[in-house]
Amino acid sequence: MTAPRLLPSHELRQHTSEIELHIRAGSLGDLLAEAGRALAEVELTSADCALGGPARPIRVSSSDREALLVDWLNELIFLADIDRWVAMDFSIDLAKATEVRARASGVTLQRAPSRVKAATFHGLRVRDVPGGLEADLILDV
Amino acid sequence: MSAYPVITLSPLVREIPVTARPDMRVPVRVYADDELWHQIVNDRSLDQAVNVATLPGVTGCVYAMPDVHEGYGFPVGGVAAMEADDGVISPGGVGYDINCGVRLLASDLDLSVARPHLEAAVHDLSRSIPSGPGRNPQLDLAATDLDRVLDDGYALLLERGLALPEDLPNTEAGGRLPAARSACVSAKAKQRGHNQLGTIGSGNHFVEVQVVDEVFEPAAAAAFGLRQGQITVLIHTGSRGLGHQVCTDYVRQMDQAMRRYGIQLPDRQLACAPLGSPEGQAYFGAMCAAANFAWANRQTITSSVRRVFARAYGTTGGLRLVYDVAHNIAKVEEHGGARLCVHRKGATRAFGPSHPETPAPYRAVGQPVFIPGSMGTASYVLAGNDAAMTLSFGSTCHGAGRAMSRGEAKRTRAGHEVRRELERQGIIVRCPSSSELAEEAPTAYKDVERVVEVVHQVGLARKVVRLRPLGVVKG
Repeated sequence: MTAPRLLPSHELRQHTSEIELHIRAGSLGDLLAEAGRALAEVELTSADCALGGPARPIRVSSSDREALLVDWLNELIFLADIDRWVAMDFSIDLAKATEVRARASGVTLQRAPSRVKAATFHGLRVRDVPGGLEADLILDV
Repeated sequence: MSAYPVITLSPLVREIPVTARPDMRVPVRVYADDELWHQIVNDRSLDQAVNVATLPGVTGCVYAMPDVHEGYGFPVGGVAAMEADDGVISPGGVGYDINCGVRLLASDLDLSVARPHLEAAVHDLSRSIPSGPGRNPQLDLAATDLDRVLDDGYALLLERGLALPEDLPNTEAGGRLPAARSACVSAKAKQRGHNQLGTIGSGNHFVEVQVVDEVFEPAAAAAFGLRQGQITVLIHTGSRGLGHQVCTDYVRQMDQAMRRYGIQLPDRQLACAPLGSPEGQAYFGAMCAAANFAWANRQTITSSVRRVFARAYGTTGGLRLVYDVAHNIAKVEEHGGARLCVHRKGATRAFGPSHPETPAPYRAVGQPVFIPGSMGTASYVLAGNDAAMTLSFGSTCHGAGRAMSRGEAKRTRAGHEVRRELERQGIIVRCPSSSELAEEAPTAYKDVERVVEVVHQVGLARKVVRLRPLGVVKG
């Protein structure tokens, strides 16, 4: 019997100087979208924001799916820092182990979020589980 | 209890032998008293230090300072040296905040003179120096000017009146690492950094007004120009988003390059490449450029602090740069006749009197070292010891070290309670967010006095003066 497809979900776990993301989803595309939503949850600590404009295209290439998850989140962190824009909703057009193409809608803040410095490779895991994928990733905060 | 076999070499020195794990190339040596040791074994610091001990070309020992705590790949508070000729360089061994560091300014003022205008001065500091994610609209650098800062350090700031000629010799490396290559810094990193000079950032970064509270070694204090009752300003920040992006860019590049060099690691965040390889040289050039940017950042903040003090105290408020020293950096240094790439992540260079890089005015006593306490607790000025060259590649601790996650800190104490407690101690606090104040509460950190006592007793550095906080502008 095939396991039911996992619904996207995430947990945030606090450590001494980091936040660990634990993400579950039915596909790589859903996993990346859920990771983006988890990042937004960390970045947005107030309602100090406004809905912002049309969806933006985001494209990231990497060496493997673990690196893809890190690079995807680091691209979102870069956009948040430069444009004060935090992506919240994602349409994934293509997701394979070495590439993601997506369109993201988000909110524009009055000030750039300052919490997250980077997504790291430390303790990084993406693994196949019945019904989809699970990932662990650590954010430097 | 440690998961590894531990040899107790003395009450303050423990060693995990090279035989503890088959992939270790060198032992791990930990400087800590019993209480700090119990804190250290309760997180993943030792696992991370053991992982570092597997890196190609690592030599001597991997050292863990008494403030060590778990980080990403490398532990924070760790020192590792690799053979420059055939060893690796690892961006994770420097960290995301390249050249995060501390500088101390000494005023001509005594507390009794400063006190009446102190609250106004701290308030003015908070208005004059952008904190949190703030940019500096007064100093939005054109691309060529940013490249000059990255390559040349203070030169642009001298031209613009943001630095004094006498600031250069009192900055580590004169504020300029000659191996810096702005061309190796990505467009993304430059986008993040072009308007961030003169900003504190967030987290545990701060500008703090203090008073010299106790003098432990009068001769060294005199050499540093410090005396009991004197007002000082401590600045703690780094290379901001520019440095974060440099680290992100090169961890990614080296992660991809490792296969070509046949390097296998227990943790991908340790991603590294031979120092002499194209990837290693590119990272080293970019890291040095980000380090120059961080010194320029602290220098620009210094200029703002000087203007605030001039407004508050007139000509009597002159502020002399005692020294500026990094605690997240990799440098090529000579140790025991060998050229080594010394990674200090959350560890401070602490050269003694006889080292040629110790500034001339401090040759009799050793390089100044600054150990900030947690918010509201004392900070320390130490002096480097020659003995540290053999004990820790000329390194010492960098601060109190976190003992609690930010979330746990917030659950333990509310921000307004922390603010009230600091005010009860007579400390003026300016912080845009009560939540961030709670994250940096003193209870979230290890006991800085205990940390400093260990490095003093071991001989990594000597206590010179203690600085008591009077007012803090938190990032």
